[in-house]
Amino acid sequence: MNEIQFCLLLAVALFSIGIYGLLTRRNAIGILLSIELMANAVNINLVAFSRVHGGAAGQVFALFAIALTVAEVAIGLGLVILMARTRKSINVDEARDLHG
Amino acid sequence: MQPLLIDLSIAALALLVFVADLLMPSEEKRGLGHLASAGLVLILLLTFVLDMQGDAFGGAYVLDPLALWFKRVFLLAGALAALIALDPAEQAFARRQGEYYLLLLLSLLGMSILSSARELLLIVVSFELMSLPLYVLTAFTKSSKLSGEGALKFYLVGATSLAITLFGLSLVFGATGTTMLPEIAANAGAIRSPLLVLGVLTTLAGLAFKIGAVPFHMWVPDTYEGAATPFVGFLAVAPKAAGFALLVRLYLVAFAPLSVRFQPALLALCVLTLVVGNVLALTQTNIKRLLAYSGIAQIGYMMVGLLAQTGEGVGMLLFYLAAYLFTNVGAFAVVCAVGAASGSDDIRAYRGLSRRNPALALAMLVFLLSLGGIPFVAGFWAKMGIFIAAWHAGLHWLVLLGAGLAVVGVYYYLRIARSLYLDDPEEGAQPITIGAPLRLALIVCGTAVVLIGIWPRPWFDTALDAAKSFLH
Repeated sequence: MNEIQFCLLLAVALFSIGIYGLLTRRNAIGILLSIELMANAVNINLVAFSRVHGGAAGQVFALFAIALTVAEVAIGLGLVILMARTRKSINVDEARDLHG
Repeated sequence: MQPLLIDLSIAALALLVFVADLLMPSEEKRGLGHLASAGLVLILLLTFVLDMQGDAFGGAYVLDPLALWFKRVFLLAGALAALIALDPAEQAFARRQGEYYLLLLLSLLGMSILSSARELLLIVVSFELMSLPLYVLTAFTKSSKLSGEGALKFYLVGATSLAITLFGLSLVFGATGTTMLPEIAANAGAIRSPLLVLGVLTTLAGLAFKIGAVPFHMWVPDTYEGAATPFVGFLAVAPKAAGFALLVRLYLVAFAPLSVRFQPALLALCVLTLVVGNVLALTQTNIKRLLAYSGIAQIGYMMVGLLAQTGEGVGMLLFYLAAYLFTNVGAFAVVCAVGAASGSDDIRAYRGLSRRNPALALAMLVFLLSLGGIPFVAGFWAKMGIFIAAWHAGLHWLVLLGAGLAVVGVYYYLRIARSLYLDDPEEGAQPITIGAPLRLALIVCGTAVVLIGIWPRPWFDTALDAAKSFLH
């Protein structure tokens, strides 16, 4: 197995763990962490492919992706704090006033 | 510089609103809404006066007729949304009005850039610029439990969809070695890598979340119900249109050589969206949820235009988006007025609306007829055009299915329309008065829906022109 295959397997494994966490975690912070794992699998992919193709495009892409994820998590944490304030809980199963 | 002028103007307007917000005394913040709305109308007029077409940044950014059509849809949606929000914003969050309009403009800027982007990194960045303000705007009524819940669901789905889309795009980059869409289009046919197919399909799943296609639609009704009504009209139209701009650029141009591989997936999404959207709308008792499911069904019709994979299909998709813009923003404006007067979004609040405010009932009737696709309002030509384009492309059974489901749609729209006029109002219901900004928005939407219905020719021609210029 060459190094690029190893990188791709690692990325797919990380992505899958992220999806598993997303589906099983009920704590909002846990879900945010799972999404973060998925986003980082993307970065591994990008850097690995950047090495295959040469050039800086993949690495620049990864740097931008990291910054975007940070911005996104900042908003996510804000929403979790809002939930903690209005419901005194961050268990997403308790947020079920909207249905039908 | 020329091609960037529209986006630079939106950015300048956003900064202007931001600075004015800091300088203005808090009693006069309402002016910011006027500023945002008037500014967007001005930029919209600019797009008709100046000829700015061309590309920038080595082809990564392009202003072609397609992008121009989408930008006009966004600008119009933004101007109407700012107008509708004037009165409710003053009442619900007078001090934070400036932030509201700033976020709205920033999201608009993201959509506008997205419709022009022809490079993966630019696509991802503008996609996020569009999405992040939307999460905040959904949660803007901080004290409401529902608003926070709707926003959290929207956010979790949105963040997941971004991660999935990014994963797909990283595989596409890995297989093709470039981030420029024209180069991907040129190379995609020759690449036999399974990575590329996997990437294309994963990206499609991520984008399906964004436009709210079934089975990735669960967030849509909850988010619409939880968010403040003046904002939902915008949320229901503009981000969906942006999603379609991206779908057209990616799936009909960049990945076009692979269409055999993703066509079945797109077809399955389309059929599910049409069926589930229309059927679930039947049982709704909350008007916002009903419009949410009806919106999902409309997404299905637009996907039919995408599936045709012809210039005609894309042209009809553009026409549909314009009709959908006026109809949906208008319908949500009525929901906004009735919700403010009766404090409820239940369908029962619409009983006998004609006796509480005849003009409002007439407007709602026009929008419902357009949503249902009754002849001589905008929605009829929109559905008709999509079906004809799909028929020409050989998707006969899909057209028959769509037409059948449109009949189901007519049932649940006309049920409300009937109760507007024939039922008695609930006891103690007062006449409804609406403010001048909302009235203006309703007049614009209503007139446009009727005008497109009576005289659709110029709209059809422009839409087909915009699509022809880029699909061969």
